[in-house]
Amino acid sequence: MSAMPSVGSTRTVGSSTLRVEDLRILTGRGHYVDDVKLPGMLHAAFVRSPLAHARILRIDTSGAGRLDGVVAVFTGRDIAERTNAIVPKFVPDGYKYEPVFALATDKTRFVGDPVAIVVAESRYLAEDGCDLVDVDYEPLDAIATFEQALDPSGPTVFDSFGSNVAYETSTTYGDIAAAFAAADIVITETFAQHRVAQMPMEGRGGVGNFDPATGELVYYTGTQSPHTVKAYLSEALGVPLDLTRSVNGDIGGAFGLKIACHREDIAVCAASQWLGRPVKWIEDRNEHLQASGQAREERMRLEAAVSHDGTILAMRGDLVLDQGAYPAVPFVGGGIVDLVAMMMSGPYAWRAFAMTSTVVTSNKCTYSAYRAPWAIETWARERMIDVVARQLGLDPADVRLRNFAANDGSATMLSGDTLLDNSCAQSLERILDTADYRRLRAEQAAARAQGRCVGIGFATFIEPAPGPVNGKGGQEKSIARVEPDGTLSIFTSQAPNGQGHETTLAQIASDEMGVAIGDVHVYHGDTAASPYTAVGTGGSQAATMASGSVLHSTREVKRKVLAIAGDMLEIDPGDLLIEAGYVHPAGVSSVRLSLAQVAQMAYVSTDNQPPDVDKELRAEATYDGGIGSWSAGSHLCHVDIDLETGQVRFLRYLVVEDCGRMINPAIVEGQIRGGVAQGIGEVLYEWSAYDDEANYLAGTLMDYLLPTATEIPTIEIEHLENEPNEEVFYRGVGEGGLLVAPAAITNAIEDALSPFGARVTEQYLPPAKILELANVISEQVHAQ
Amino acid sequence: MTTQQVSILVNGVQRQTSTEVRRTLVDFLRDELGLTGTHVGCEHGICGACTVLVDGEPVRSCLMLAVQASGTTVETIDGLGSPDSLSPLQQSFRDSHGFQCGFCTPGFLMTTLALLRENPDPTEEEIRHSLSGNICRCTGYQSIVEGVKRAAKAGLGPNAEVAQ
Repeated sequence: MSAMPSVGSTRTVGSSTLRVEDLRILTGRGHYVDDVKLPGMLHAAFVRSPLAHARILRIDTSGAGRLDGVVAVFTGRDIAERTNAIVPKFVPDGYKYEPVFALATDKTRFVGDPVAIVVAESRYLAEDGCDLVDVDYEPLDAIATFEQALDPSGPTVFDSFGSNVAYETSTTYGDIAAAFAAADIVITETFAQHRVAQMPMEGRGGVGNFDPATGELVYYTGTQSPHTVKAYLSEALGVPLDLTRSVNGDIGGAFGLKIACHREDIAVCAASQWLGRPVKWIEDRNEHLQASGQAREERMRLEAAVSHDGTILAMRGDLVLDQGAYPAVPFVGGGIVDLVAMMMSGPYAWRAFAMTSTVVTSNKCTYSAYRAPWAIETWARERMIDVVARQLGLDPADVRLRNFAANDGSATMLSGDTLLDNSCAQSLERILDTADYRRLRAEQAAARAQGRCVGIGFATFIEPAPGPVNGKGGQEKSIARVEPDGTLSIFTSQAPNGQGHETTLAQIASDEMGVAIGDVHVYHGDTAASPYTAVGTGGSQAATMASGSVLHSTREVKRKVLAIAGDMLEIDPGDLLIEAGYVHPAGVSSVRLSLAQVAQMAYVSTDNQPPDVDKELRAEATYDGGIGSWSAGSHLCHVDIDLETGQVRFLRYLVVEDCGRMINPAIVEGQIRGGVAQGIGEVLYEWSAYDDEANYLAGTLMDYLLPTATEIPTIEIEHLENEPNEEVFYRGVGEGGLLVAPAAITNAIEDALSPFGARVTEQYLPPAKILELANVISEQVHAQ
Repeated sequence: MTTQQVSILVNGVQRQTSTEVRRTLVDFLRDELGLTGTHVGCEHGICGACTVLVDGEPVRSCLMLAVQASGTTVETIDGLGSPDSLSPLQQSFRDSHGFQCGFCTPGFLMTTLALLRENPDPTEEEIRHSLSGNICRCTGYQSIVEGVKRAAKAGLGPNAEVAQ
């Protein structure tokens, strides 16, 4: 026993605690996949199809094989002979797919489709080898547009489908016919969302290390879902699961792209397996742009049944989604349409909603998850509400406020799912107040009188973070372990890639345990240590699910600590506290034990303790999401458009966000601002462009434009922090920023251009499109 | 492969070795010297992740060959402060929650270092302009701009932060 220390509060939840991760990333000591270097390591590069759709007639690898330093070349035929085909795991009923191999076998289906892997002593030599692989192609007609994909007389990307339609489904909530019959007016509009890309600053990559002596395969990579990668590698390569391991280091961003197991991952590990040596592959930016993954190519036709007073009775949607050639695994891109339908009514009290969905296959890169993958519903809905307001001569704020569902716990979505903690009305009222909306409108009138082109736009969202749980919210596991020196190790299923989970989960555990945050370490990203999950980091689940799990595993191990300490001190454990790493009786400072003393008793002491005291200072917990509820918020922006250049300038960008209590406000705000910046990029700059023959046109960052510090404005954020009525009252914020920003921005641009009668029906609004909408230039001048 | 002798003063250490003439400076730093703090983001000079200082000037080390850097002084993120002794610049970015995933970080730090040496008290507009050759996909830049302002306020002189 020692004297009571001066105990300051060690509680950190709710404060912008400095990030644990920053000590290494700010000093160049992060450990990303390209930093992995193993003895005897070889380097791989891929030969990729320059054609969108072609039959492979012949591949001659002899030239590459003769090059000094090239160790091996494997083609699709080698892969097909020696690996198992890849099959998506999460597939809706009726969804069509063909199992595929890591490399193209009979034909190539998009520009960038890998046809061979060259393995050499260096990356330079591997690329030299690629140049010497000679492939004869027979070009085939390609599918590049919705119209081509839906034309039954066209070529097929996968012949067994009999068409290019991979999936069709329909959903109806409520009495749609009655709602439309009751409408004063039906308003119709079609909204087109262009193809964009996640574009993490670190591309894909990995080092496969198959050990022929043990039969163990370790894949060092950067994935949002280590257990998914492990499962696919095991299945494709025939390595048992107990000998297959996926290991993350630091990850340079992911944004949904890295939730999948990619074909290249399998090819790289297969090469290691056959050569018995480690093989590294680091994607270059051109590969990344054309072949890693792309997102968001959808078109939605909406009909809104409305009353003259602005009441929206119902909507009917017709969605087409272009999933590219090969479906992502394990989550096929086309599978998102069911979530789109479920989310479509969002926080609004409609009577009915019906949607038909068609998922088409094309000769383009894989459609894959991108931050808020269901986002078409928020963009199309929030645009449609502005269209309704314009046609009825009403204010778009009033139309929203009239149609929000109640936030008293009584309202449910049309799907029957909860609308608990939907503070959308509150967030919209707050943002209009902060922006001084009436004054803004008056200023807009004055600016227009002076010939300026200014607009105000806003939009509202709910984010399923965790969303309705209903027993389907998944299970999040964690392990808490007190080490012999009294420090705390946390093992999470999350696979962070910039979100700062090493900090936020340590905050949760530190507060619960009563130890300094510096005495907590969060382990993640290694399938040998991380609890199993079918997902990983995705869907903004960490704030609620991982926090809840860590809270409970820490609480359970704390209970064990207090039981042992109680026995040591001969005090009822219920009368003990842990503060600043010491166990002591409440209100008594003269008696205390350090956590190290307790841990020593548990691990190494031979002193007798009662048999009912559990001396294993380790606990596992599973969290189910509790009541399940929403993050919510509104964005408002004020734009000024230059009709000479077509450039859009942000005069102000405001966010009001409600994610319950914030674990770390600086991290919350970083998530929101990053999402808004991607939204600005998506509307004004970014486009994964293909021509009508599916040739890819944006192969460099001079073609695929990313916003920089001079394009992104200051983003002001206010927080509501309505806490859900339960113990785990943190809600996720990973996706809301990008989910709603395109709606707020496009609404503002249409508002600015309304004197010209402009109707914004396409989300991509580069300068030429802005000038076209303003009648400054004629249509199609901007097309390639 | 043709090789050539290079002699470069990297973070205060004279490095003399032979390297392939086609090897880029960033690959030389990372693979031959083991200085993996500098990252390769695009390999065509747009993203700025590979920015290092060559004779004090920010340079895309993916667009420069190692042999071209012979005879120069090169500074990289690896030569700034260490985890237990962050430099004022690094501490300012940490205090501002400047970065998220950390991949673009080396380029932003070295660009900022060059900026503050030349202009110790930049306006926000000057900061944003200076950073416009570096892409960050995570943050929306506001926290990075705040970090630069904080570093400027911390009073970095023109000779501060010379990499050791």
